[in-house]
Amino acid sequence: MKKDGIIKLLTNRTVLLLLLLAASLIVINFLAPGFVSVTNLLGVTQFGAVILLLGIGQSIVMVSGGGGIDLSIGTIASLSGILFGILCVQTGMNPLFAAMLVIAFGMLLGFFNGFLVSVLNLPAFIATLSTSYMYSSLSLYITGGVPISGFEKSFAWLGQKTTFLIPNQVLFVAAPILIITLYAVNHTKYGRHIYLTGSNANAAIFAGIDVKKIRCINYILDGFLASVASIVMCSWLMTARADAGSGYDLQTIAVAVLGGIDINGGAGKLSGVIIAVLITTIISTGIQYANLNGIWQLAVLGIILILSVSMNQVLIYHSKKVSKQKQKEIINNI
Amino acid sequence: MKKYAPKPRAREYVTLLLILIEVAIMGSINKNIFSNINISQVISNAAELSIVCIGMNIVIMLGGIDLSVGAIMGLSALAAGHMLQISGNSFLVIGIAVAVGALLGSINGFLIVKLKIPDMVATLATMNIYRAAIFGLLGGQWLTGLIPKYGRITTGKVFGVPVIIFLVILFYICFYWVTNYTSFGRKIAAVGTSSKSAALCGINPDFIKMCSYLLIGALAGVSGSLYIARMGAVEMQVGVRLHTDCIAAVVVGGMGMGGVGGKSTLLGTLAGVFFISFLRNGIVILGIPSLLEYFVTGLLIILSLCADVIVFKQKAHINKKKAAAIR
Repeated sequence: MKKDGIIKLLTNRTVLLLLLLAASLIVINFLAPGFVSVTNLLGVTQFGAVILLLGIGQSIVMVSGGGGIDLSIGTIASLSGILFGILCVQTGMNPLFAAMLVIAFGMLLGFFNGFLVSVLNLPAFIATLSTSYMYSSLSLYITGGVPISGFEKSFAWLGQKTTFLIPNQVLFVAAPILIITLYAVNHTKYGRHIYLTGSNANAAIFAGIDVKKIRCINYILDGFLASVASIVMCSWLMTARADAGSGYDLQTIAVAVLGGIDINGGAGKLSGVIIAVLITTIISTGIQYANLNGIWQLAVLGIILILSVSMNQVLIYHSKKVSKQKQKEIINNI
Repeated sequence: MKKYAPKPRAREYVTLLLILIEVAIMGSINKNIFSNINISQVISNAAELSIVCIGMNIVIMLGGIDLSVGAIMGLSALAAGHMLQISGNSFLVIGIAVAVGALLGSINGFLIVKLKIPDMVATLATMNIYRAAIFGLLGGQWLTGLIPKYGRITTGKVFGVPVIIFLVILFYICFYWVTNYTSFGRKIAAVGTSSKSAALCGINPDFIKMCSYLLIGALAGVSGSLYIARMGAVEMQVGVRLHTDCIAAVVVGGMGMGGVGGKSTLLGTLAGVFFISFLRNGIVILGIPSLLEYFVTGLLIILSLCADVIVFKQKAHINKKKAAAIR
């Protein structure tokens, strides 16, 4: 019976993730003493802001099901970042106005994905893989591979300054967006529609939900979040680079899956994704502290991804077994 | 009783036609495309891609995908390169490349079949792990000075025709036979169409899937050994975008709705490989900025998928009409 209890506790995703978070903090503290302190950890959250924004986008797309996945999320961020750089630096536009244009542009890119996937019914991963190549090659072509720099100094306020020790990008961008999406996903009709679409598209259609519209809107939201993330990235690095978003496709998928989002859609909570973002951020900054090449970061993420998905499968298998046993017991008692 | 064997579909001949149109258009702008040197160069450069594409065709036929082929090719090229420095025996060198490829492919297969990780996620993860392994083994340097004895396969010519084309055609004939005429090939198609019904028919889908991923790994290994013969070196970025080219070739070749599977379109795939190779060649020769190359590739995948979807819908519509008329 005791074993069942442990499994039950572990099946609770949040508990498991919190344990993982604690474990990674302890390991990193051994590798890099002095890493774990309140000031440092608050500072580290600045690395997480971009992943959080992109991870939420990826999770929403995944939850709505139908094989939904967005491999182009990083390249949308690259391309809209470059547009932002061009607008701000080369035409000297007001950053606020430029940001609005860029966000509209990102939503347009997301809509293109959504159109291909939901309206034309192309398989999501092939469609977004090809759009990711289109976007990245466009952004390389526009810049010629040269980073755009020379933003106004005041623009650094968003990405490099802090308020009450909390980085501005977390306090003023990531946190509000997070709260709004958490509310929208968990407490509005729209959020419930996303989950229903993901768990059973046919049932959703019979319930009168426009599945195509929901999925298309999710891709647009995804593009919105990616373009917001690109503005944060621009302000953080004070340059717009054509390869700024490379590698984020894997990172966001890893974060979403580690956070408990079911890759087949319909299940998983955004609260898990938040803890997963914290874990991956701490691990990747730890790797940077240990002075390892960035490619190892991707490898570690790959391993985390494999482990977390297979753990998901094992836990689901066990919880099904336990619930079946319980059913049998109930039937026997009757 | 005559045994059933699927024939190439009309869609696959369309791709062949597309190559002719493409080459004709590009040739009318710049005649250098038709030069003997250029055409044989395109063919020998396409060899690795075309061999990996056989595997990709099989995996997509299963309803799966393998994004890690480029990294597998890189790692097996690396293993072959190290082997070459120890001994010059061609069998050993090719053997180790194929073995490493098969091993890495079966790791993918294990993750997908036993741990039930969705194939796209599993191979996306292993792609990055294998890439990191390439980086770790190379340590930022190039492995150079590789001149294998079998190198003449990739560079040699008979009557002005590159020898490598015969090897590619041999591979395609073999695998055309395997996918269309053997029970293994038909089982792949069955699992790709519906894994559950295949299991009910007494086919072991897990075994078939495992074999297919092993096969694509081994084929990536073969192309890894061809790669070192052609380039004479292994560098960090080896095969970085091989998987996109593969998917593009297979999709342009008429695999269609991608992920639905169940069809073997090897003829179309070979045509798709040459379509993409000539396209790339044309982009260079016509002076289009090479940074836009992948824009064109991506666009091509989407366009051919869209075309297939539209044709598919029309066919379904016509079938419905026919059914209604019969009633």
